[in-house]
Amino acid sequence: MPKSLADLNDLKTHIALYDSESAYQQLFKYLFPSLYRFCYCILKSRELAEEAASDVMITLWRNRLKMLEINNIKVYAFVIARNVSLNILNRNHKEELISLDDIQIDILLDAHNPEQLLINDELKKKLEMATQSLPSKCKLVFKLIKEDGLTYKETATILNISVKTVDAHLVTAVKKLSTILREEFNLM
Amino acid sequence: MDKSLIIALLSRKMAAEATQEELEQLRLLIEENPDAIYYEEILQELWENNSDSQMPQSDLDQIYALHRQKYKADFIINPVEEIPAGRHGYLQITGILLVFVVLSLLCFGLWQKKEQLSTHDTHIVAGKGIRKKVVLPDGTLVWLNAGSKLSYDTGFNQQKIRQVFLIGEAFFDVAHRKSQPFIVHTEKISVKVLGTAFNIQAYPGENKSEATLIRGSIELSVNDQSGQKVILNPSEKFAFSTEKKTMVIDHVEPVKIGNDEYIEETSWKDNQLVFQNETLEDLKPRLERWFNIQISIRSEQPKHYRFTGVFKNETINDALMAMQLIKPFTFKLTRYDVIIY
Repeated sequence: MPKSLADLNDLKTHIALYDSESAYQQLFKYLFPSLYRFCYCILKSRELAEEAASDVMITLWRNRLKMLEINNIKVYAFVIARNVSLNILNRNHKEELISLDDIQIDILLDAHNPEQLLINDELKKKLEMATQSLPSKCKLVFKLIKEDGLTYKETATILNISVKTVDAHLVTAVKKLSTILREEFNLM
Repeated sequence: MDKSLIIALLSRKMAAEATQEELEQLRLLIEENPDAIYYEEILQELWENNSDSQMPQSDLDQIYALHRQKYKADFIINPVEEIPAGRHGYLQITGILLVFVVLSLLCFGLWQKKEQLSTHDTHIVAGKGIRKKVVLPDGTLVWLNAGSKLSYDTGFNQQKIRQVFLIGEAFFDVAHRKSQPFIVHTEKISVKVLGTAFNIQAYPGENKSEATLIRGSIELSVNDQSGQKVILNPSEKFAFSTEKKTMVIDHVEPVKIGNDEYIEETSWKDNQLVFQNETLEDLKPRLERWFNIQISIRSEQPKHYRFTGVFKNETINDALMAMQLIKPFTFKLTRYDVIIY
């Protein structure tokens, strides 16, 4: 359900100007799954991730008057999600301050597509194993771009890194996958 | 070496961040290294799985219901949804009606004092979005534009002077009576005629009053400068600025749109809204009256866009879409409101 930026702007206007709950509901249903998955990567708990994503959404609603000033609501929501999730982690680990770099991120390579010819379960497991050794920011970059279809620039804003770094992280992640592929398929 | 570059380029391609040159470079590299096609295919399979990770709609409904329940206080504060547009519009209309009533009472009071007139008991009102054509008891034809009101005494054609009172805009085709002049009073200006066709515009809240003569001749006076009279010739337009207290007489030039010519000042009576090189800001009150709609322009740039055109039977939606073809702006239409940004 890729919503165009124009659709999102439409929803944004309705929420900001008319306090439209139905528009908010649409926005919720659009953003929640991605936010949930993003928070889950950081929090590793279904309950906490759900709480965090819900928290992000209500923050958007509460600040709806300022919503028209926000250019990209999706990125804005992800940035809040990042902060909310890190806050939850820090709340639970009072001694040390946790940043995105310290977190173990899990990447799931979903492959339930019936048309899938080349990727079997075993290969999928190998690919997932391979990505585990990547640094956490690198994994997050890969996840945001692959799963949420975000652009380099959007990803850079969310993770607070440069566009160049985003590109480097993505290339690193894909390289890691390709080493597995090379062995698997006896490629060059 | 090549492989490393191929992977980097493939990554960018998957992320939809590759430039044209990079895509071309990738294509050439893959031609040289046919094995690379496998990488591309497998990566594509991995990438295309986004939709699998979406939650089912039913789960989302439930999650939203829980979310709504958890934060219900936040939604109660402002329980009205979408309706504000309508309610808002309603309030505005009531407001305008009130302004009308107050203004007409005021004018009424003033005229009574000044001219010692008896109460005028007939009122013809054309609401916003409505244009009316009426025949007065003396045979005079009046087209009343949207958001206007015409008042007179039932027996006005038996008086020595025929007098009517106008708020807003009207086109008069006055029945000729040699010994019985016809006077249109508005808040700021008055027009005295024998028999002629002219348009007069005096909307409350606008900073100018105008009279345009089509044929015959009319005598104009500004109400608080009753000594000064202005005679208008056909195809001339008189404008009185209420702010600067200045009077300007202009020649009326027909507006040429396509192969047709229109007279901007009077075309409204033929159900044509004509405008020439007008800024959206100036056009706003006219569009509001014409379509019975409230327009708010929320960004600075569209206010200064200039438009020339004619609307005939278009709905507000058609009209705005046509204007969008000329200048880029976005609009949002609800029942009584248009937001332009």
